Amino acid sequence: MKYFWKHWFLPLEKNNHRSALLRTNTLLILIAFYLFNHSLIKFISVIKPGILGYSSEITVQKVIDQTNQKRQQLGLVPLKYNSLLSESAIKKAQDMFANNYWAHTSPLGTTPWDFFKSVGYKYSVAGENLARDFYDTDSLMKAWMNSPTHRDNIINSKYQEIGIGVVNGILGGVKTTLVVQHFGTPLVAVASDTKKTNTNENLNQEVTLPADFNIQETTLDNDQEVISLPQTPQVLSQQKKLINPLLLNKIISVILFGLIITVLFIDGFVTLKNNHHRLTGSNIGHIGFLFMILLLIITSQQGAIF
Amino acid sequence: MIIPPEVKKKPLEYLFLALFFIIGVCFYLFAGLSDSNRRFIVITLGAGYFFWSLYHHYHRGDLNLSIIVEYLVFILFGIVLFTGTFF
Repeated sequence: MKYFWKHWFLPLEKNNHRSALLRTNTLLILIAFYLFNHSLIKFISVIKPGILGYSSEITVQKVIDQTNQKRQQLGLVPLKYNSLLSESAIKKAQDMFANNYWAHTSPLGTTPWDFFKSVGYKYSVAGENLARDFYDTDSLMKAWMNSPTHRDNIINSKYQEIGIGVVNGILGGVKTTLVVQHFGTPLVAVASDTKKTNTNENLNQEVTLPADFNIQETTLDNDQEVISLPQTPQVLSQQKKLINPLLLNKIISVILFGLIITVLFIDGFVTLKNNHHRLTGSNIGHIGFLFMILLLIITSQQGAIF
Repeated sequence: MIIPPEVKKKPLEYLFLALFFIIGVCFYLFAGLSDSNRRFIVITLGAGYFFWSLYHHYHRGDLNLSIIVEYLVFILFGIVLFTGTFF
């Protein structure tokens, strides 16, 4: 048993002074194992969507809390939850699944403001942030805050209310989660403020979108599940916890990279200590290359914002 | 700090490799690239590492098929796991 571990992790005479884990055939087996695992995860997420899914951590309450936290850090007034805005956000997400697009304006020309109007939300100022494929609220908020245009929406002092839609469905043949953030200030609130200050300025409707419109034409594919309810945001946090396939893939990759980098270190150190000369590639080069890729995997976020 | 003899022998080659990786990582993280461009950056880094290995081992006088295959497999390992994680 002891020899078994030594054989895989240490350079010995019996393994030709190269840890068995670093041999090309072992690495090819690990690549094959990873690809098999990757395919299996994808297969399960398509066949049994209830087992694996996205947005296991994202809830409306968390998005609202973190949005308000960012605002309060900058001394801004927290946004109030508005059920009409959540309704419009859910409708927007459902529309993206139904018409299979990922943009602020639908291929049919429906703008975000049409959704505000359809639920009867009369606004003086309004905005929309979109996101997809994120598995936790922290990553989602980080991505939005790193984008100047999305950040502007989150910390816009003109907004008073917020509504969130978190909807699961199939977009472009892939099971995904769409998060729609709708901001607004009701027309009534502005009108009463205006009355208080006795100004006679006309009220202009302002709209804010984080990016240029980009319509993607795709085929219809509809299989969706609303995981957020507009009426009571507290209820939304009680959704079923799901294992995220992206996170699972990331964990497997990090483990494999960590294993190979560790064995490269051990192999290099033992060889240096024993002063062995052998005909192999540079362990330092391999460590540098794999460490760089590992760094990219760890720091990269999944998901997209619009 | 232990500096391996191979680095002591050819410090400039390793410095060049380290700079190449650092520039690649910075470009990947901070250039605001699209997914396809990010994938292209990682493949370019892999290709750059392969060419560095050819130069490095040619000058060391031990360039042979088994070493070339080893580098190709390590690069393949990195690229497959990276693309599998995000794409």
